[in-house]
Amino acid sequence: MKKTRKPQLAVIGAGPAGLGAALAASGAGLRDVMLIERDFELGGILPQCIHDGFGSIVFKEVMTGPEYAQRFVEEIRRTDVEIMLNTMVLDMGPDMRITAVNDREGIVEIEPESIVLAMGCRERTRHQVMLPGFRPAGVITAGAAQRDINIEGLMPGRKIVILGSGDIGLIMARRFTLEGARVEGVYELMDHPGGITRNVVQCLRDFEIPLHLSHTVSFIHGRKRVEAVTVAEVDADLKPRKETERFVPCDTLCLSVGLIPENELSKHAGIQLDPVTAGPFVDERMETTVDGIFACGNVVNVFDLVDYVTHSAQVAGRGAAEYVLQGRKRQSPVKVVAGRNVKYVVPQFVSDLNRDVDFYFRVEHPERAVTARILADGKPLAGKKHKMVRPPEMLKQTTEALDVSTGEKTRELTVEVIPGGE
Amino acid sequence: MTPAGLPESAQVVVIGAGVSGCSIARELTKYTPDIVIIDRESDVADATTKANNAEVHSGIGEKIGTLKAKLNVRGNALYDDFVSGLGVDFRRQGLLIVITPRTLPEEVAARMPRSVHDFVLKQVMPRLIMLNARRKGIPGLRMVSRAEVYRMEPHVTRSAVAGVFDPTYGMVAPYKLTIALAEHSVMNGARVFLNTEVSGVNVKDGRVLGVTTNRGDIRAPIVVNAAGVFADEVADMAGAGGFRIHPRKGASLLFDREETREYVHSSVSEFRVRGKTKAHSKGGGAMPTLEGNLQLGPTAIETDDKFDTSISAEEIQEIFDRFYYLLPDFPRSAMISAFSGIRAPTEEEDFIIGPSEAARGFVNVAGIQSPGLASAPAIVEMVMVFLHDLGVPRQPRSDFDPVRPAPPRFAELSNEERDRLIAGDPRYGHVICRCEQVTEAEVVNAAHGIIPATTMDGVKRRTRTGMGRCQGGFCGYRVAQILAREMGVPVTDMTKDGDGSWVFTTGKKTIAV
Repeated sequence: MKKTRKPQLAVIGAGPAGLGAALAASGAGLRDVMLIERDFELGGILPQCIHDGFGSIVFKEVMTGPEYAQRFVEEIRRTDVEIMLNTMVLDMGPDMRITAVNDREGIVEIEPESIVLAMGCRERTRHQVMLPGFRPAGVITAGAAQRDINIEGLMPGRKIVILGSGDIGLIMARRFTLEGARVEGVYELMDHPGGITRNVVQCLRDFEIPLHLSHTVSFIHGRKRVEAVTVAEVDADLKPRKETERFVPCDTLCLSVGLIPENELSKHAGIQLDPVTAGPFVDERMETTVDGIFACGNVVNVFDLVDYVTHSAQVAGRGAAEYVLQGRKRQSPVKVVAGRNVKYVVPQFVSDLNRDVDFYFRVEHPERAVTARILADGKPLAGKKHKMVRPPEMLKQTTEALDVSTGEKTRELTVEVIPGGE
Repeated sequence: MTPAGLPESAQVVVIGAGVSGCSIARELTKYTPDIVIIDRESDVADATTKANNAEVHSGIGEKIGTLKAKLNVRGNALYDDFVSGLGVDFRRQGLLIVITPRTLPEEVAARMPRSVHDFVLKQVMPRLIMLNARRKGIPGLRMVSRAEVYRMEPHVTRSAVAGVFDPTYGMVAPYKLTIALAEHSVMNGARVFLNTEVSGVNVKDGRVLGVTTNRGDIRAPIVVNAAGVFADEVADMAGAGGFRIHPRKGASLLFDREETREYVHSSVSEFRVRGKTKAHSKGGGAMPTLEGNLQLGPTAIETDDKFDTSISAEEIQEIFDRFYYLLPDFPRSAMISAFSGIRAPTEEEDFIIGPSEAARGFVNVAGIQSPGLASAPAIVEMVMVFLHDLGVPRQPRSDFDPVRPAPPRFAELSNEERDRLIAGDPRYGHVICRCEQVTEAEVVNAAHGIIPATTMDGVKRRTRTGMGRCQGGFCGYRVAQILAREMGVPVTDMTKDGDGSWVFTTGKKTIAV
């Protein structure tokens, strides 16, 4: 009978979130931290993100994905964090029992004192956005295409149509072009780009790749390999308008139509998920609804910047350490409400108002000259003016120790974006 | 393993490696090993069979007096024996037929006083269904009260009035079954030739002499035409035709297992009496697949293209609209896949099974549409009578091996069994498809199976790689690399599903400077 492993903390996933959490926990005094990763190397999705734009907040410099990951990899090698590569977590129960497998030890049973979930997210597929047509080879998600090209050295196509202007789609439009493929155009369902402005400029405009807003793919042609797609403008209900349909020959349809936090394990563990973010409800320490299980990074909600992923990971790692070392019990949580032009806020609860809290939130629709602010029972606490806010760009607002500053017990927090700003 | 060159002759050539052809071939090998199966696609089960939605009907939906009704009822009864030894799951989960206020066509219901309509729905319709089953010899049906409908299936619409439970209805994965049948045939001497398309059936003086294919001729005194949607064209080649297959599309939707496990427990369908519009579908249903995914469908749409496996936005909407009524809260956003296949009905909408008078030795197994999967064992029984008459030995072989060993499926094993496998082969400890928990060893097994997988879809059908919620986004390149390595070819040779369906470009990757 194999011995069950009993670390102080098990971190599931060694992308930027898992690396950041394991390091923070180790730095906060946990001696026995286990970092579990299913891939053969550390870094998660970062090694395939060979474009720049990482680290401007955390390291105050502009780095590529592999460079950003390498900083953490080097740092973690200097700690006593146990790294388990090529190890897949098969299940996780409500009692925090983890079952994992690898090819060296076989089935590994782990009963940690605390857990940080850092599984990241997956890409939405063609069926999840209900794209009609045939099912030929050549329909690929942008992240998968990025892996093929940047890590595996394989080209998934020559003549590309991209659906969705999320950041990965924009990055891949440029990447495909640099690799000698022809990108026919990027088509976006909404009337605004899905990715951040920097990427629209640097990946499309600079390469003269057309962006067609309020458009979708209405049919995929080709029995064996993609031969063409039909594209069309959409009406107010986002349905294709037949009279605007155009036939666009191509051999590849690359999809950048959204990311979904990967929470299958979380569900098995009985963690409650927020229907808006599709990630766990968390409090200011990134603790989920199950005591001792924390979550950070894109498993909680899809962040726009890796720097924020790292921040949330550091909070979760320190939270887990505090939980293990001090056994701190949670106080009754205060709900954080998404107010005017706010789609959602993370964390959704605050248990301890006597500390600084970072709130991350997204707006529902683009708006000019606004103030984003946080209210405690209707009283404004902190606010910041913005020239322009857009759904793809996450907003961050920090509050200082609340109950200390207001001097009374807070019952509800609200985050809102209101007109009036720069 | 499939030999490279076509043999000069065989006692029986079976055209078409779908579920019908492979069922017949497997039965033939109980009497003679000299069987050749040919198919135009790159894998067995690679046309109509792969898109079949896995139902083993009881026969309740078929018209009394048809060959379909007779063979369906008989086939269902034979199913446990039929699949035994194949290493394939078959589950009789039953079908709950739900009667709702929509059961009678509006124009009929409108002519009845409300109390009469209620009485008809509650008391008459269930009894009619029961009576219909009794006349066809379908065992075990029972009436289910409204309260019991909800106890059995809590997600069914609150407007349900009554129900009937049909317990012999079951499910089997059609492509797994067919791969197993083909492999079992090969274990017992049969030979399978894929990418082999029949261009002629050679007939002289009213007798079949063999077939001509794109890869050469095979002499054979007996030829079985199980060519699915092409059975009419193949029959014409032998002068044994005179019927026409008109393709009819059927689409189904699949949902994420994590979200929909136990959403329904048996299959559930709404009973609707058709009005004046003639419909050739049992209306489809909501069913849990053997792996626990919710599946909705299929549709029935006439097409003029035998290759039209596309799905239109309207078709997806039609399925949604239909099931919003029966299952108002079904998790629409958890849809992970949609697939469509071509049924092969004749104008008469019945099976055409029998020897040709024009070409002795040529046997048609045509017009096999739903309930073809359920009828397969009975089709085999019927065809064997003709085949014995045509000269297949009546004496069973003593050396027939009754068991086809199924390769291990990591996701379904206990941790102790998993440890044992990994100790023997560490590749069982390397999970490559995270959604379906498929290991490298399973992909290797698929590549070296009795009927080896040679394409990405071939691996998928054998192991479930890419069948989960990410649809191969994470494991696609890994499957391609492992399969290429095992086949000893460059990864750029990989196809999704045979010639033309390339996955990666073959040109050298250029680095822009």
